[in-house]
Amino acid sequence: MRRRVAVALATMMSALVCVLGLGAGVAHAEGESIFGFLRNAKGGDLVPVEGAKITVKGPGVNETATTDDTGRWTVEVGKPGTYTVTIDQKSLPKGVTLRNPDADSLKVPVVESQDKPVLFALGKSTRVIQSKWAQAAQLSAEGLRFGLIIALAAVGLSLIFGTTGLTNFSHGELVTLGAIIAWWVSTGNLPLSLPGYGGVNFLVAAAITLAIMGLIGWANDARLWGPLRRRGTGLIAAMIVSIGLSLLLRYLLLYLFSGSSRAYPAYRGQKGVDIGPITLSPADYISMAIAIVVLMAVAYALLRTRLGKATRAVSDNPALASASGIDVDGVIRTVWIAGSMLAGLAGILLGIAQGINFQIGFQILLLMFAAVTLGGLGTAFGALVGSIVVGMFVTVSTLVIPAELKNVGALGILIIILLVRPQGILGRAERVG
Amino acid sequence: MTTQQGSDDRPRTDSGTEAGADSGTDRGVHERAAGNALLRADEVIAGYVPGVNILNGCDFYVDDGELVGIIGPNGAGKSTLLKAIFGLIKVSSGTITLRGEDITGQKANQLVTKGVGFVPQTNNVFPSLTIEENLQMGVFQAPKKFKQSFEFVTGLFPALGDRRAQRAGSLSGGERQMVAMGRALMMEPSVLLLDEPSAGLSPALQDEVFVRTRQINRAGVSVIMVEQNARRCLQICDRGYVLDQGRNAYTASGKDLSNDPKVIELYLGTLAKA
Repeated sequence: MRRRVAVALATMMSALVCVLGLGAGVAHAEGESIFGFLRNAKGGDLVPVEGAKITVKGPGVNETATTDDTGRWTVEVGKPGTYTVTIDQKSLPKGVTLRNPDADSLKVPVVESQDKPVLFALGKSTRVIQSKWAQAAQLSAEGLRFGLIIALAAVGLSLIFGTTGLTNFSHGELVTLGAIIAWWVSTGNLPLSLPGYGGVNFLVAAAITLAIMGLIGWANDARLWGPLRRRGTGLIAAMIVSIGLSLLLRYLLLYLFSGSSRAYPAYRGQKGVDIGPITLSPADYISMAIAIVVLMAVAYALLRTRLGKATRAVSDNPALASASGIDVDGVIRTVWIAGSMLAGLAGILLGIAQGINFQIGFQILLLMFAAVTLGGLGTAFGALVGSIVVGMFVTVSTLVIPAELKNVGALGILIIILLVRPQGILGRAERVG
Repeated sequence: MTTQQGSDDRPRTDSGTEAGADSGTDRGVHERAAGNALLRADEVIAGYVPGVNILNGCDFYVDDGELVGIIGPNGAGKSTLLKAIFGLIKVSSGTITLRGEDITGQKANQLVTKGVGFVPQTNNVFPSLTIEENLQMGVFQAPKKFKQSFEFVTGLFPALGDRRAQRAGSLSGGERQMVAMGRALMMEPSVLLLDEPSAGLSPALQDEVFVRTRQINRAGVSVIMVEQNARRCLQICDRGYVLDQGRNAYTASGKDLSNDPKVIELYLGTLAKA
């Protein structure tokens, strides 16, 4: 069993590397430039500074730009390299000074096709420096929110893996579909024209989305995975199919939704509500409450209901479940429908928290896998605990490590925990004999 | 075309005068004896992969209340026969009937409701479920039966009732076997199929399994058991089958089979003579 898990994990990781490789390289070829906005902090407002002179020196470039009435300046440098950007302090209007008069010159690396922003801080700082503890509290709250959202998606992934053995790489796209369908339905900007439809209230749209997600889950099993299973398709082959499906859906969504990032109009720019040192929008608090209630309901269903117990039985031993009189295909169908709806809900909540784009789900796929593996493959409660750990770690670790490395940290902890507990946090070592 | 049972190339006994082992090799005898059978299989041909048959025209029957043992060398098709009866593998030819109803090719979960119970040889419990939940899965299709059946099963295996909240994955092999038998008994089957219930157990535990099996049978459940431990199996059986190359080579009472010189030589080993 442990060996099977290790093999599954290894294949999963290597396949993931392939997918990541395929997903990368969407660069656009434009010239390189350095730009910035010069704004003076004055009484809590930022006032654009016009007429200031900024010089950019570097390989083959010695150019001076002047800020316009919005404070913007741009220098086209034409090729990658390291450039020195200097602000002429004498050109600043009266009463405007650099926050740090010594830092009037910066060395800036520019990579291919990059429009590099460079900022000079003017005036007195408006930022209230938070204590480390306050920051940690804030990040923990955000981490919990993120972890709960991952948990919603990961529980479905784990149940599908448990009952069918499928490592479903297209689970991320189920998350994306949830987010995007909710945006389509709520704003009325459908990819197909539906005359007279102008969108609906967001909560109604969310309910419609979940119904559609249930249908998508049903179709997944009825039209694709069920037939593959009956034909005895191997698990590795099925995993490759799921990678293909993932790519297909992702780029179909790119075509239909476009590559830009959007937000649900109902939740754009909500004002934060303070609870102690934590500031989150009302939508965030409600999202967390919804996630907790739904996850508790799932846990109750798994532990106490007849269908939930049957689901665990099928995860343990499908052949024996069938021999006990359990309709295994029916259980798997239910798991697909419920798993897709949970993923869709995760997508909607993630869309509220950080905006919607065509690979919002793919971006958390790796974290879902990490959560599922961390908690113990195939155990739904493991997925829940693993998700919270991953979500918290990814977010809180930005206190000490650069934000760009946060996902790396989560995978690092995955490796360390699996070295100590190969069966995962909640996975149980089985007695043999 | 009829199968040529008892043809010259297969082992025969010399004690043909008595109603002994030899009588079972005749299809006519099977036809007559199986007339009122609870469960019977006729000329069953089945296998795991197309073109490779494990069962080659196997005849079999069990009467109400009977305890029937199936023995035979490795690869004879003992377990395959149970799986074919229980709808776990495809039967390509022949029929299986339960109380006169043709059940050939029906799925396992349908057979459970018709009163057939099956205990696989390995992986026969749900390890992450508790003992009680394992037994609940046994009556998945008839949850109302749980209370009554639970009392019956825990009466038979008191240890299961005392440790109902323990996870089955933490049990020993013998304890798991009890959970597995208990689960199969929950639907109050009229016939129970046991696939090598004593495999991998210590001699003491093996003995317990045989005693329990006899107990279950006495409670009114017909039992078909496949066993490697042929001698012990034949001791408790009402009737036994010796399977060879996917056909029943002999059938006779357990006692007759254990004393049959040919069976001893071929399947029981010389030690049994002593």
